[in-house]
Amino acid sequence: MSATASTYDVIIIGAGLGGGIAAGVLAEAGQRVLLLERGRDLRYRDIPGDHLRHHRLSLYGDNTTYDPTGHPRVFVDPQGRSRTVFPHEADYHNNALTVGGGARIWGMQAWRFHPDDFRMASRYGTPTGSSLADWPVSYADLAPFYERAEQEIGVAGDHAATDYAPRDRPFPLPPVPATPTGAWLARGAAKLGWNAFTPPLAVNTKPYLGRNACVQCRQCIGFACPTDARNGSHNTLLPRALATGRCTLITRAHVARVLTDASGRAYGVEYFAPTTPDSAQTERRKVHAATIILAGGAIETARLLLLSASAQHPLGLGNHSDHVGRHLQGHYYPVVSGLLPAGFENPNLGPGVSIATTQFNHGNPGIIGGAMLANDFVKLPIIFWRSHLPPDLPRWGLANKKAMRELYLRGIDLRGPVQEIPSPDSRVTLDAHIRDYFGLPVARLSGTTHPETIRTAEYIRARAEDWLRAAGAEHVWSSPMDLRLSASQHQAGTARLAADPRDGVTDPYGRVHGHDNLWVTDGSLNVTNGGFNPALTIMALAFRTATKIAAKS
Amino acid sequence: MPLTPQQIEALRALLDRLIPEDEFPGALAAGTDKFILQLLTHACAAETPIIAQSLTQLDAEAIARHDLPFGKLPIAAQDALIYELEHNRTATAWPTTFPANGFINRLIDLAAEGFYADPANGGNRDASSWRMIGYNPLLPVHPTAP
Repeated sequence: MSATASTYDVIIIGAGLGGGIAAGVLAEAGQRVLLLERGRDLRYRDIPGDHLRHHRLSLYGDNTTYDPTGHPRVFVDPQGRSRTVFPHEADYHNNALTVGGGARIWGMQAWRFHPDDFRMASRYGTPTGSSLADWPVSYADLAPFYERAEQEIGVAGDHAATDYAPRDRPFPLPPVPATPTGAWLARGAAKLGWNAFTPPLAVNTKPYLGRNACVQCRQCIGFACPTDARNGSHNTLLPRALATGRCTLITRAHVARVLTDASGRAYGVEYFAPTTPDSAQTERRKVHAATIILAGGAIETARLLLLSASAQHPLGLGNHSDHVGRHLQGHYYPVVSGLLPAGFENPNLGPGVSIATTQFNHGNPGIIGGAMLANDFVKLPIIFWRSHLPPDLPRWGLANKKAMRELYLRGIDLRGPVQEIPSPDSRVTLDAHIRDYFGLPVARLSGTTHPETIRTAEYIRARAEDWLRAAGAEHVWSSPMDLRLSASQHQAGTARLAADPRDGVTDPYGRVHGHDNLWVTDGSLNVTNGGFNPALTIMALAFRTATKIAAKS
Repeated sequence: MPLTPQQIEALRALLDRLIPEDEFPGALAAGTDKFILQLLTHACAAETPIIAQSLTQLDAEAIARHDLPFGKLPIAAQDALIYELEHNRTATAWPTTFPANGFINRLIDLAAEGFYADPANGGNRDASSWRMIGYNPLLPVHPTAP
């Protein structure tokens, strides 16, 4: 143990979207911030363009993890069988391990949630066995912070057409360019009488905030951006934090526990970090602060709350009513594939997502919630081969090879993040046996989302098929959804917001109930996860929580 | 080398049928065999014993049916045998833990992974498969990202 216990105003654990934004807001408000990040501070050149080892297809590894075996998790399947899993495996529910977090490699869809996404229980009731609940925060509460995220992170979109939720100020960047595929899908949507518009993406469609525009390369989602046009906290709020001179960033820092006193007040953290920035040798350190913020993502934040159990809080911090780690959710993604008509001129440019509908987020007869539907990102050849060739085609031989060259540019698919109906049994706990590199119990993931989710997902899958058929796709196919644990890059829900401490982990501003100065700014807060990609909501909540902390101090 | 010369010959003959040459290069011309041997030496070393055993079994299966190892069969007989194995119709006893269709499906996946992945993985020499299908990552020659 290092003897020096230095002191900061704020310690933030995790330098992803939520932590990076909190660092920027608080450092600019004059606070001395220590930002601890498990990953490294990776540059573009450090994130390989390996088509088999990246964050959308990680067959034999990924392109950010530096210790592929030192930090396993345990996954329990729906039949109750448990096994140890590693970051590149789907059941690990990984996110990119780097300063900037998942936003270094994300698809950039920057949606506000629908106003009714914050009041799911009021609108639909709570199905038996589920933990579907309202947020203690409304769309109106979050709207100013959504706007701030759009402006300060940089979101490109069509202000007038994005009208499913009230918005005051236009997007700071023009929408991504129209594509022939988008125009073809727009005609299909018009035939059906559906709304369809260019989705909001956090990408520089022109130079913005001192960085270049997107060059529409075809190696997009899952990889680092070659022109730094992909926006996140890593190229906005975090550099702003560092520029104040009041933010210290330590990478490869693994927090072992949050330290609390007898009153429940958090006074510091213990963490492991390299003895010098590039050393393989690590040491255990203790550091003190007046305020602690957890932003490690829904799996690691829950794990850290549980790892921080004390004599006063034997079940873990904030876990007085047994909500920490529960309600783990992500999104179900029905995927419907088809073929564009023969001879279709598809320039196949990135990012690729160019049209979406919010027609089915709510108001679906007999269905709880729904999803936004959009076309997909530009697709790598190996991903097309694995998942998007017609299922009746031979998987090998000349017929398969010919199909690859005839169909690759004709592939089209629609998908949508289905709002999950959460279950308290889908959860993160500490494994009793498996330990990480530092000897700490690893996260154990078990349970499944509530089965009602399947009905919503199947409804959305059918609508996606309708859309492709109406547009004139030659061939349309998809697979039924199955019940499983869902978390992955959209992981959420494990420290849910609740006005009443009996109903959740954090108060309406993200402060852990019972711990006056311990806060959360990541997807863990999300009571429900919307029928949209959750990143902009995580960012808006981080702006709101950090602004609240700055005002109190 | 993780495989015997006989096993490598069976592997190469199999790959030549999984992704054959036509007016565009096939798996062998693209180096997909070397990509697989590299994986079996490193990332997939744990799979090597069962894949090696299955390649020997592939020859045994060919000999049981035609008195020739797989690599010496005429193309039509090779394709017919792959099809049979893909549907788990066998003339010899395959390991129950890794039946014939499991082996064929695994090799189909490995072949495509090498052939359609980025050339740096070693199985898509000169990006020949990408040129065939009309894919180019279009990455800027001089990235401006830090």
